[in-house]
This record gives sequence, structure tokens and C-alpha cells, in this order.
Amino acid sequence: MHREIKALAVAMCVSAASLAGMSVFAQVLRNNARATSHAQPPDTSWPGWKSVPAPEAIAEGGRLFLNSCAHCHGADARGDEGPDLHDLEMSDRHIINVIKKGIKGEMPSFAKKHSDAEIAELLAYVRSLKNDSPAGDDQSMPQ
Amino acid sequence: MDNTFWAKIHGASTHLPLALAGCSWLFDTAGFALARRPAGPQLNVVGYWTMLLAGAGTFPAVTSGLLLTKGEMLDHDLVLFHHLFVWPAFALLVGLATWRAIVGSTTRRRAFSCYLVAGFTAAVLVAGAGYWGGEMLLAN
Repeated sequence: MHREIKALAVAMCVSAASLAGMSVFAQVLRNNARATSHAQPPDTSWPGWKSVPAPEAIAEGGRLFLNSCAHCHGADARGDEGPDLHDLEMSDRHIINVIKKGIKGEMPSFAKKHSDAEIAELLAYVRSLKNDSPAGDDQSMPQ
Repeated sequence: MDNTFWAKIHGASTHLPLALAGCSWLFDTAGFALARRPAGPQLNVVGYWTMLLAGAGTFPAVTSGLLLTKGEMLDHDLVLFHHLFVWPAFALLVGLATWRAIVGSTTRRRAFSCYLVAGFTAAVLVAGAGYWGGEMLLAN
């Protein structure tokens, strides 16, 4: 019986080690998923970050939008060659990254064309585009 | 790798330990019952190897499942039920396979009867995990 009890002790150790190993692996996967998720919180250390954009920033963002983005996304941002930008379900960080770095083969980078402050204004404008806005789409257009 | 790839790998890899754990228990129980006949020890040899393969097969199954869920060990709804069966089954199968690898294909009857009880529990848990996995597929 001695051999069986020794084997039981070893088996319990191997079992616990396997569970612990899988737990560590799961943690690594969760951390990796969080790091690449579009739903992650905004990077508040970014110099252009403002938690509540001012109406002037939205208006200025609208002006920049017409100059740089409207020919692909449409003047009303309802989409043309590029997608509709109303009610975007992605994090501010992701939107900023797309504006700054572009999308290979689909959208150019605007990092050199616009400063961080201007990209923050573009973000403020894009965030103001709501499908269910009581003011209607025309009100979201820059004047 | 997208989730579709890992869903396919998970589906392909889970059925091996699921089938082998049940088969191993059946062969070992038959070998236990027929211990005094010539076929008894041979059935235990089959039970031994199928249990070792089932224990080894749990690793790709669980790893692909974790990659599929992006590391969620419990989650919610049907996935939670699936995982509540998966983790005890995984631990028990690895433990049983290790124990069996050390003691060999046959051992003392008292110890082996305890092993059969644990093996039955593992087979039920693996079957439960498979059932809830199937429910998830039907829900989608």
C-alpha cells in the first residue's frame, strides 16, 4: 500500500502544479487581451487628453474634419469611402491611434499633419457624432 | 490567431480525453471484475494506456479552450457551467493519469477500487463539461 500512497502524493502535486500552470497561462492571456482590447480605458497621460471636451474643441474638430477626413468619411461623417463615424464603439485611445498611425492600405497617418491638440479636437468632434442625437445630424455638422 | 481557429482546435482536441476517460474506466472496471480470468489483466493494460492518453490529451484541450476564451477561467452563463466541470475534471484526470503511470496497469484491489471510484467521477465530470460545451454550440 506504501507505493500507492506515495504515488497519490505525487499525483496530487502534479495535479496542483498543472492547475497552477494553467492559471498562470490564463492570467498571461487575460493581460494580453486587455492590452490589445479596444475597450481599454483612455490613456489620460496623452497630452491631448481632455475628459470633457469644450464646445469650442468640438467645433474646431469639425473644421479639421472637413479639411482632412470628409473626403473619405463624408461631410456628414455618415461614411463614403471610409466608414460611418457615428456612435463608434471603440476606446478613445484606439480612435487616437487610428488617426495618428492610420490603417495600412485603408487610411493614411495624420500624425505629421495634425498636432496632439488638433487630434484631441478631432476626437472630441467624432465623439459628438450620435445617431440618437435629438438635435439631428445637421446639428453635429461644423458651422 | 482568431477565435474561429481556436474554436476548431478546441472542438478537435476535447473529444480525445472525453472519449478516453470513459473508455479507460470501462476497461478498468471490466478488468477489475474479471481479475481472475486471463482477460482481466489485459483489460487493465488497455485501461492503463487509455488513461495515460486521456491525461495527456487534457493539456491541448484546456490550452486551446483558454486561448479561445482569452484566458477566462470561469466567465458566466453557459461558459461558467462548462468551466465548473472542466477544471475539476482536468485536475482529476491529470492526477489519475499520474497515479496510474507510477503504480502501473495493475495494483492492489483496495487501492484500485478507490481509483475506479475517482475514475468514474472524472468520466462524469468530463462528460458534464462536454455537455455544457455542446449547449454553448447550440446557443450560438
